[in-house]
Amino acid sequence: MNELIHGGLYGGMIVGVLMTTTAMALWFERKFAARMQSRLGPTMVGPSGLLQPFADVVKLLQKEDIVPFQADRVLFNLAPPLGAIAAISVAAVIPFSADIIAADLDVGVLYLLAIGALGVLPVFIAGWGSNNKFALLGGMRALAQSVSYEVPLVLAALVPVILTGSMKLSAIVEFQATHHWLVVWPFFLGVPAFIIFMLAMLAEANRIPFDIPEAESELVAGITTEYTGIKFALFYMAEYVHTLVASAVGAALFLGGWDGPFAPGLGWMVAKTLALFGFVYWLRWTLLRFRSDQLMALCWRYLVPAGVVLVAASAVWVVWVG
Amino acid sequence: MTHEPAAPAPAAPRPRTVDDGSNFRHPLYQVLLDTPGLTVGTAAVDDLLTWGLTNAMWIFPMATSCCGIEFMATMASRVDIDRMGSFVRPTPRQADVMVVAGTITTKMAPRVLKLWEQMPEPKWCVAMGSCAISGDFYRNLYSVVPGIDTFLPVDVYIPGCPPNPEALMHGMLRLQEKIRGQRHGKDFAPKPDAALLKITQPSIPRLVEANRPADLSAAQERASDQPTVDEATPALVVAPEDAPEVAPLVANDFEGLLKEVGVTELPKDGPPLVPAAHHLELARRLKALGYRQLVTIAATHWLAGRGRKGAVADEVEHFEIAFVVRTVGAGSRTAAWAVRVLPGQPLLTLSGVYAGADWQEREQFDLVGVKFAGHPDLRRIMQAESATSFPLRRDHPADAPCAPWR
Repeated sequence: MNELIHGGLYGGMIVGVLMTTTAMALWFERKFAARMQSRLGPTMVGPSGLLQPFADVVKLLQKEDIVPFQADRVLFNLAPPLGAIAAISVAAVIPFSADIIAADLDVGVLYLLAIGALGVLPVFIAGWGSNNKFALLGGMRALAQSVSYEVPLVLAALVPVILTGSMKLSAIVEFQATHHWLVVWPFFLGVPAFIIFMLAMLAEANRIPFDIPEAESELVAGITTEYTGIKFALFYMAEYVHTLVASAVGAALFLGGWDGPFAPGLGWMVAKTLALFGFVYWLRWTLLRFRSDQLMALCWRYLVPAGVVLVAASAVWVVWVG
Repeated sequence: MTHEPAAPAPAAPRPRTVDDGSNFRHPLYQVLLDTPGLTVGTAAVDDLLTWGLTNAMWIFPMATSCCGIEFMATMASRVDIDRMGSFVRPTPRQADVMVVAGTITTKMAPRVLKLWEQMPEPKWCVAMGSCAISGDFYRNLYSVVPGIDTFLPVDVYIPGCPPNPEALMHGMLRLQEKIRGQRHGKDFAPKPDAALLKITQPSIPRLVEANRPADLSAAQERASDQPTVDEATPALVVAPEDAPEVAPLVANDFEGLLKEVGVTELPKDGPPLVPAAHHLELARRLKALGYRQLVTIAATHWLAGRGRKGAVADEVEHFEIAFVVRTVGAGSRTAAWAVRVLPGQPLLTLSGVYAGADWQEREQFDLVGVKFAGHPDLRRIMQAESATSFPLRRDHPADAPCAPWR
């Protein structure tokens, strides 16, 4: 019972904070993109345009809700909330500090990989249910991409599990706090695994340079082509939450989580997460988009073999050296 | 087909509302008015909703021509319409404002209307530039819609040719004002000036005009919902006529080939006229000689009494179709010839010899009405699939109607 109250309390807090952060992230991205393109970005709505995301939501709530002719009503309406739930659920196991964890599962890494992989399902449901060729193409691309990149993601996440000997996220962070951050030592295992994790995470979240499923120049808006108003907002939010949560997971698995000097653990965790999050934006407004075949080649010819080698090397390191 | 103002149909009984001028008040309305503080609360909520609507106007870019370039500049660093929260969404489902930037042709109009119908309410339409407003100097052209307000409910007109980015920004700010004003009950209905209307009256009534027939709107709706061109129009199949067998040509240069088909001297006023029977064989031989690129096919329509030499008393109505081919690479040579055909008489297609002749011949069929026998896919290519006339014929009226768009 105690655990339930603890989980509910922290879960609610984390979801609230996530939503606010996502809204701010939207504002931040628009300002950031504008600066990269020597524009100003939102300035008129609230101070420095800070209220822009809220105006967007207020507007989206008022829009007509259109279900396309001959679309699969159930699937079409099911996909957006499912996407949002899948993205938010991952946040349950993230250790924001030594005691701010909604559910400190013994199989935390397994949980987040499983629920994270669930995120592709609503995407494909949306593509299938929209009765729109662009949405269907987007859904197919997303499915192929996410299923492929699931493999290097799992392999990369296995490295910290092997090195620290636990699947519990708090234990992984604890290990790094008492020993070294995994990107510091053994860096020849930690750094490549971290890079593979970040690349696979970008592909899972459909961010540039892997945003083939919603390539605007080819597929209008990909899976969200037929979605209006608040359903579109849910999809949009799910994408941001997915990126944000994946950044937090990266920070916990490889960058020592809440560990750091002079500041409370929560501060360090938030700083590391936002740094990774900002890095994703930086990539987004800098890089171009991969072609489908290049994307698959990168995954199966480079990331998967490298991941397998890393996992084997980690095992060797743990048994004979560490 | 022109649209006569239809006799006014008996008005259907409309449900009584608060603002239909009948001073009708729903009993519940009075109760709500009397509840202390309720109107203040609803006004505050309404202001919040309006604030959201006006500050997040996502744009669907219906940019068809040069206005589109200014539109893009409005997104870029100097003006940056993102400052007021507007940016481009590529799908109409997520857009609030359709900015029609550029000339809308009768072929484009049904697509524009369809995209407009796909946008979710509440939505607004901005006519950017003279072409979108009135058709401008294409106004009387056979293919151009004389102003998008003949089929779209335009909220803001931005004049200019093209309007600069600042003008578009200003137009968006005026649209914000309009939305705010309308939510507060202000009337933005246009006050037409009769004298001005006489000059600017398009060839079909605008949406806002009282004499607009209901069947016109219905016809436009129907046209926008038609299947695609390929399904709507089957290709015209023209069987080749029984032509006398011609001997294969053997000469090794263009001059020699012309002599072989009976042209002894080159005319000064145009390409040499080749008998239609030798036309295909000439093209085949020229290609074998290295003239591998088909540059152009251009058909001219001549009415009775006129020809390429000017006024000729005994000339009958005919078409003259000129063909230009060239060799490729350095020192390229050109060969041009013309074929004369009478109305209704088909000409053998060149698409079996030159692949590039396919679309060129379709264009001449679409605009001038020349038929090409044996053409694999003779359909209209540039005009709307519903078009019935051949606009580049000399007897075609310049401002011909094209139902239901002009």
